[in-house]
Amino acid sequence: VQKIQSLTTNIGVVYSGMGPDSRVLVRKSRKQAQQYYGLYKEPIPVTQLVRETAAVMQEFTQSGGVRPFGVSLLVAGYDDNGPQLYQVDPSGSYFSWKASAMGKNVSNAKTFLEKRYTDDMELDDAVHTAILTLKEGFEGQISSKNIEIGIIGTDKIFRVLTPAEVDDYLAEVE
Amino acid sequence: MSKSAIEVPPKSGFSFDLCRRNDMILNKSGVKPPTYRKTGTTIVGLIFEDGVILGADTRATEGPIVADKNCEKIHYMAPNIYCCGAGTAADTEAVTDMVSSQLQLHRYATGRESRVVTALTLLKSHLFRYQGHVSAALVLGGVDITGPHLHTIYPHGSTDTLPYATMGSGSLAAMAMFESKYKEGLTRDEGIKLVCDAICAGIFNDLGSGSNVDVCVITKGKKDYLRNHMLPNPRTYVSAKGFAFTKGQTEVLSTKITPLMQKLEVAEDAMEE
Repeated sequence: VQKIQSLTTNIGVVYSGMGPDSRVLVRKSRKQAQQYYGLYKEPIPVTQLVRETAAVMQEFTQSGGVRPFGVSLLVAGYDDNGPQLYQVDPSGSYFSWKASAMGKNVSNAKTFLEKRYTDDMELDDAVHTAILTLKEGFEGQISSKNIEIGIIGTDKIFRVLTPAEVDDYLAEVE
Repeated sequence: MSKSAIEVPPKSGFSFDLCRRNDMILNKSGVKPPTYRKTGTTIVGLIFEDGVILGADTRATEGPIVADKNCEKIHYMAPNIYCCGAGTAADTEAVTDMVSSQLQLHRYATGRESRVVTALTLLKSHLFRYQGHVSAALVLGGVDITGPHLHTIYPHGSTDTLPYATMGSGSLAAMAMFESKYKEGLTRDEGIKLVCDAICAGIFNDLGSGSNVDVCVITKGKKDYLRNHMLPNPRTYVSAKGFAFTKGQTEVLSTKITPLMQKLEVAEDAMEE
């Protein structure tokens, strides 16, 4: 069972928080993306999908008998406006980031990223940076069995790396 | 988008409230309804040794007029499943797009390649719900984990599973070709040739079919969409250089010149500062 899921061929999402809540959101987002395509015959732009997902999350903070979603999402996609990264909070607010982190070790991870991030990184460098950021707060031995990496390159196809590929990157980092 | 927290599924199927009034208009008052664009069509499919080959002609008709000389009748359903459509063009487009969307969602949910029977069941239940009013006759073919499959789906929702199939107004001409030449274990080239022969039989012998041949070959893990694989009806265009007519070839009978605007002389007054 994966934490990183794809919403469309060129948009992927990862969550921090309650898994079951994220499942509901992922399902809804996928359906919204298909509906958008059915209506406009255009693959949904990343901003639109983020907006619609955020609207759903906001709905649950203002309706009766329901509780807010217990997840924060990181949505990554590549469309006509280039590569984009968004964070969506349980309140329904969303932010665009160049690099971000969420979860237990968020403050350390963000400071690490602030130091390490540059605009003109190659994909491989970016993966290395991500692994090092994860390693910062990692308890125990980091391996392909306990992390997941999802990438989207200029080919505009979001995919989760296989454990073998993750092992290769880990070996390079060591 | 639903505004309530709980989503009620929308009412499906047609509401037949206006049937009586339509009946009165059509049959009693003599008003003719507008014709809609049908695809006339010859569509075929056959199973060969490595998978499935689908074929279609490219003519779309609106009554006796050819509306589109090169339309696409082989629709994408999934990376490993394609569907040919005969009947009303709008219906086949809409129904295949809708089921393709549903298959995509299903793929995300299961993480697996789509199966041909899934597409089949989604299509047939939709068509049955609309009681034949969605005029789409389809030939569905694909290769999935269980092997190659070929099905025909009729507008009322019934299906057949066959090793070779034809649909559309040119189906009899195409089926005649298949019945005489089909055998099990055809190779890829033999299969493509047989499909082309069948479609050509439809193109040349049926008025509702014509123009070019589209072929789609689906095998395990690979598909080849050969758009306009054969062009047996090329257009002979008027020469690009144009025609050279020498002056004096056309006899001038009379000449009359009408000025469109009166030419006015404007006297400029000197402006005083």
